[in-house]
Amino acid sequence: MSMFTSTQIILAIMVVVYIVAKALKLSTELSMLLAAVAGALAGGAGIPARHIAEGAFTYFDIILIFITATLFMNLLKESGGVAFVIRGILKKFHRRRSILFILITILLLIPGALTGAGSVTVLITGGMISVVLSYMGLSKPKIAAIIFLIAGLSAAAPPVSLWAMLTAAGVNMPYVGFFLPLLIPCVVLALLTIFILGWKGQSVDLEKALKELPEAPKGMNWTRVLLPFLFFLALVILGRVLPHSFPILGLPLIFVFSAFVTVLISPVELQILKISRDTVKQLLPLIGTLTCVGILVQIMTLTGVRGLIAISIVTLPIVAVFASLFFVLPVSEAVLMWGAAPVLGVPLVLLFNTIGLNPIIALAGMSIIWPLGDALPPTAIIGRLTKDTVGMEEPYTQMLKHCIVPALIIMAVGTLMVIFSKSLSFLTLL
Amino acid sequence: MSLIGLVFLVFAGISFYKIRHLKEPVVLGPGVTQVKKLSTYFPKIKGSINDANIYFLEGSEPGGTILILGGSHPEEPAGRLLGWIFAENAIVEKGTVIVILSANRSGTTVTRLGGAYPPDYSIPTEWGEQTFRMGDRWSNPLDQWPDPEVYIHYPSGQELAYVDIRNLNRTWPGRANGTLTEKTCFALTQLIKDEGVDIVFDLHEAELQYPVISTIVAHEKGQDLAAMASMMISGTEDFSMGVENSPEALRGLSHREIGDHTDAISLLLEAPEPFLDATRGRTNRALLLEGKDEFVVKAGKHGLLFERIDENGWHIDVRVGRHCSTILQILELWSEDQPERGIRMTHVPRYAEVIANGTGHYLRDPSTASPGKLTFE
Amino acid sequence: MIVTLLYYVLTAFIALLIIWNLVKSKKWQDEILYIIILIPFLLRLLRLK
Repeated sequence: MSMFTSTQIILAIMVVVYIVAKALKLSTELSMLLAAVAGALAGGAGIPARHIAEGAFTYFDIILIFITATLFMNLLKESGGVAFVIRGILKKFHRRRSILFILITILLLIPGALTGAGSVTVLITGGMISVVLSYMGLSKPKIAAIIFLIAGLSAAAPPVSLWAMLTAAGVNMPYVGFFLPLLIPCVVLALLTIFILGWKGQSVDLEKALKELPEAPKGMNWTRVLLPFLFFLALVILGRVLPHSFPILGLPLIFVFSAFVTVLISPVELQILKISRDTVKQLLPLIGTLTCVGILVQIMTLTGVRGLIAISIVTLPIVAVFASLFFVLPVSEAVLMWGAAPVLGVPLVLLFNTIGLNPIIALAGMSIIWPLGDALPPTAIIGRLTKDTVGMEEPYTQMLKHCIVPALIIMAVGTLMVIFSKSLSFLTLL
Repeated sequence: MSLIGLVFLVFAGISFYKIRHLKEPVVLGPGVTQVKKLSTYFPKIKGSINDANIYFLEGSEPGGTILILGGSHPEEPAGRLLGWIFAENAIVEKGTVIVILSANRSGTTVTRLGGAYPPDYSIPTEWGEQTFRMGDRWSNPLDQWPDPEVYIHYPSGQELAYVDIRNLNRTWPGRANGTLTEKTCFALTQLIKDEGVDIVFDLHEAELQYPVISTIVAHEKGQDLAAMASMMISGTEDFSMGVENSPEALRGLSHREIGDHTDAISLLLEAPEPFLDATRGRTNRALLLEGKDEFVVKAGKHGLLFERIDENGWHIDVRVGRHCSTILQILELWSEDQPERGIRMTHVPRYAEVIANGTGHYLRDPSTASPGKLTFE
Repeated sequence: MIVTLLYYVLTAFIALLIIWNLVKSKKWQDEILYIIILIPFLLRLLRLK
């Protein structure tokens, strides 16, 4: 039997096991785990404890960032800081929809841009902003769509864009020159998204909104809100400006230190242990997915399934590759999350490089399309998270319906960036 | 449930522990005159996992000095295996040959997350087989943790992917107060300066989908030498090697920084390793050592590769043999051009010999090593 | 060196939170998930991976 046939059989077995597991009402995470174990068995590897543990480790650093970033944000939320900011913005700008939209976009872009994770945006500012948007006359599914799409763009936005970083590392390309090629489309598309979806609404009913928004505790002020962020920024900037005299702290520890500052200056007493425990509980689906995706990718690599998928895609005619990016990238994201970068990103970028495209712009273009897949099953991780955070009661498909128009624009922009990457090369030099 | 988890933990844990502590024997060949530690050149690295063994093969006639770096990227095994062949066989008549088998020893103790690498691989020999740690491209996080959010190279200030702060071929020329990997490069740079090394060979392997392959990447100081060697190899050996100039914009790599920061000529050799290709099929020891893969062949048929591949694959003997012949060819040309800094050695096989006899033929049986003639990597 | 030590402390703290949630969890699917995500934390703490 050729390697193609045997690997196709293994892939088919994994898919069947996944579908059966889902049909038996198992969670997506456990279904992926079962599919991985089935793949290993079918590939003749038995139940490889070593590979399962190594795969579970794949996203360990990212998981640490998630937990510490979310803990920091949860502490800030509990201290009343986030409520204070949202109330402040609302009071000042409730008559000026455009400015409000721009500020909301910035607030949504920052957490994801800094951490590389759209989920952090959803968890940190998503909830509060959904309240503001609901008082601007927008339906919950529409709000969920806005937050989901901008959260995705925030994850792709610089400085930390994990798809670009992981793919660049995979092709031995330095993560340099990506700032503008990522920043410009992410900001423009985020603004387009909020204006397209949010324009038709009503003016803010300030009193009603303020009533529903959580009260900021007495003693909360701008200094107390901003100090932890300034501290965070200071540590990040120090690491950048004095990289060779300032110790390497890493994002998780920077978040932990910022969390300490939040606790120290909070006007209310914070129950650190309880908030920490709840944070882990809140993140279980996300961390679980990342861990199980890691295991799945490891087993797919072990059995050759990963190679089968990669070779099937990169050997399509180049026009077909361009034409299918809008579909293939989100689907790979839906199945593998960041695992899509090493599995698909690496061969695609090498392919683009071979045919003379600019790999940085092409990869930036791909990076803005990838996060759209976070709303799609099987994982749909950010989509589900957004639905829960916004408190949307309507069926999930309602949110997806509202995503369609901006998503099509994002796909088009990303694909065009790939096709015309050579002409856009100047962006990497600025 | 927790019990099953515990069983998993124990089994996986034992596997990780065993590989981190697997000893790889080196039988000191007749040419080895002394074995030093890397910390001789930079005491701050003493006692760390990267305090590598430095094998000296000194000839009776004065001449030049070369340094061969194996294991900059341990997941590219041809370079390490060549190191074994030299340390266990070569006899130097003129000049000094310095060999390092595990430039980044930390990187040999871990395998790629998500990469499904085998923990180890074995080379068949006439006396049984010898097992080596598989290793990864990066230092083990157990030895260097955490990574920054962006790695800023010293001294250029260039931004690189965060993981590459653990990549020995991105941290040249090194930093005395840096991370373990940076300190390792700093120590190696000191060695190059202190020993007056003329040429550094950094041995690598690459995926076939990577444009820099089957080539000598040369610092401008070594471009003529590399170009000449490339021509000679294509004419006399059964394979061809290209030449690439070391790009000035790409910082932290040996071919750039060693040449810039020391008097040595820096050359980096790349051999093809289908095991590293993103389109590879089943990831196992056979693929690592035989380099046969249908999926990579298909990628080649679609013009996606920078090196040819057919059903014969790229066997480890072919890759090791290429490195051997390339080094020997360069040294011959160098010695003709610079007789007073020349190198002359024997008992190192060329390409055709490695293929005919197998790499294992040149590995010595540690059980028969005389006392004092055995070290471990 | 101190930073690395702090990372082990952080890893231990999160591992304890996971174990705490595992013990309190009532859903069997969540329990399995907690056990799986705990594995890397324990392997790092034991300095095995």
